[in-house]
Amino acid sequence: MILVELRKTFRRPRTWATIAVLNALPVLVAVLLVLTDLAPRPGEGPPFLSAVLSNGTLYPLAALAIVLPLFLPIAVAVVAGDAIAGEAQAGTLRYLLARPAGRTRLLVAKLVAVLAFVLVTVLVVAAVGYVIGTTLFEAQPVAGGTSVSGTSLTPEEVAWRTLLAIGYVAVSMLGVAAFALFFSTLTDSPLGATMGALAVLVASSLLFTLDAASPLAPYLPTRYWLSFVDLFREPILWRDVTRGLALQGVYVGALLSAAWASFTTKDITS
Amino acid sequence: MGGVAAGGRGAVARWAVVAALVGALVALPSLIGALPAADEPVGAVELRAAVLASADVGFSGYAESAGGLALPVTEQLGSVADLFSDRTTMRVWWRGPADNRVDVVTAGGETGIRRDATGTWTWEYERATATRAVLGPLALPAPPDLLPSALGRRLLSEATEREVTRIGARRVAGRNALGLRLVPGQPASSVSHVDVWVDGGTGLPLQVQLFADAADRAAMDTRFLDLDLGTPAAATTAFAPPPGARVRSAQEAEVLLEAGRRIRTVPFPAQLAGLPRRTLQGVPPGIGLYGRGVTLLTVAPLPRRLASGLRTTLAQAPGAVVDGSSVRVAAGPVGLMVVDVPGQGPYVLTGTVTVDALATAAAEVPDLRPAP
Repeated sequence: MILVELRKTFRRPRTWATIAVLNALPVLVAVLLVLTDLAPRPGEGPPFLSAVLSNGTLYPLAALAIVLPLFLPIAVAVVAGDAIAGEAQAGTLRYLLARPAGRTRLLVAKLVAVLAFVLVTVLVVAAVGYVIGTTLFEAQPVAGGTSVSGTSLTPEEVAWRTLLAIGYVAVSMLGVAAFALFFSTLTDSPLGATMGALAVLVASSLLFTLDAASPLAPYLPTRYWLSFVDLFREPILWRDVTRGLALQGVYVGALLSAAWASFTTKDITS
Repeated sequence: MGGVAAGGRGAVARWAVVAALVGALVALPSLIGALPAADEPVGAVELRAAVLASADVGFSGYAESAGGLALPVTEQLGSVADLFSDRTTMRVWWRGPADNRVDVVTAGGETGIRRDATGTWTWEYERATATRAVLGPLALPAPPDLLPSALGRRLLSEATEREVTRIGARRVAGRNALGLRLVPGQPASSVSHVDVWVDGGTGLPLQVQLFADAADRAAMDTRFLDLDLGTPAAATTAFAPPPGARVRSAQEAEVLLEAGRRIRTVPFPAQLAGLPRRTLQGVPPGIGLYGRGVTLLTVAPLPRRLASGLRTTLAQAPGAVVDGSSVRVAAGPVGLMVVDVPGQGPYVLTGTVTVDALATAAAEVPDLRPAP
């Protein structure tokens, strides 16, 4: 069943169209940077974008930072929100459940497909970013890079920290996927589920900027999204990264169990 | 509709499992936070001595300072004002007073200050700039001064034995912290009290809270969130400008000294608003310093073009008292006053004293007495 769902997800033209659109913005930014040679001042614009003119191997990170605040969550919410509600809307859910597989297994299969989509999307954005970065910008394969703390990093260090950052961004997106999947079990409208997840994220981002909401800040799902920057400090600042992972773990665990409780007990009418 | 229906009792059980799981996860942080702190029978004087002896304790940690002081100052001092009004997050590695590193961490960058025997390197990631500053007698407040350890030692250094009392214990950065309260003895003081929470084993201040008069929320609160005792490696605090970075030398100390040389020397009385005059090495003679410990008052003549800007800013601040040729205002525990007596030139008075004490002090400076 898992294989069926995976095949279904990645055979859909819509999936690849989403990923392609997601890559369009970083590509456009890269072309503009090369044409104008105007990088944002360090500290302005998305993290790492200012450094790519001198070191193209950092572009995967800049690309992820560009799509992280809005595009990536939207893509994930669309796909995850569609998982159950999409079948319900199309009227195929009852036929799926007519098989002896059971609801829990269907939910797990849907979940795995969504997780695979998140991973593939993040990897494709990073890979496209790497190809663009090394072809359009000057790559410094020997010199490595400079950490945020002002120390030198070897190319190996840059490479494995980039891999860690990609993994971290993927985990951050799992929380979005869990919200959308949970809402997807509540409603028969995939649009409603997607919008619900996005509403949570917008509210979270807004509360994070508000000083009065600072007691809530450690529990906001978007609180630690940008902490992948901490992986490029020297020594690495693990504090927020581990908190980010734990927080996403809690959200994913709680929402998936809620999705399970909701989906296995609801009346399927379509 | 026929549909595929699920049983009612199963639904309750499943949702109960989910509710229990979520409840346990939500309760976990508050359970950890409610761990009781154990007090130790240490006297206030003894604890203060332990704090003052803690400068050489090696540690590394993560600290956060939150200032509620909205200082109404002009743009030249913007960075100092931000320090006291914003939330500042710092990573610190401390090998000793002359060998340490403090990184101010922001979401997308950082500013690191590394102290060595002869000066400091300041690395600004946002500008890709490394700035070398040689130690001078005078310096503006910088993030390392906000560390609980540094601020606690500074505030307690001039406290008398009668000003400090013990106030129980709490947990800070996962450690037992013994409370020490400093209530300044001077009536002019605008600080009602300072609470310093001290690590019992090392004497390291873990949290410092400064309360203004009639305020139940701290005007300044700085604390460690993580702390590891043990001297960090020398390589962590060392610094060499990375390739491609802009390297420059700091002008700030020069500017301060130059400004000090330009200040005209004026006669200051031995006492202002009940606070005795004090001298500090490196301070130009044109600046009058008064007070002790957390109660400090500074009086200095001001260049006219600076004065008019400051006067306008102060007059617009909430609660400003405009009184003929003078403006005075309190920003939390910090009082600020600009006096402009015709024929004498403008003066600024500032410090951790009440607004009334500022007015008293202004009336006691011979130059500032209104002409009869």
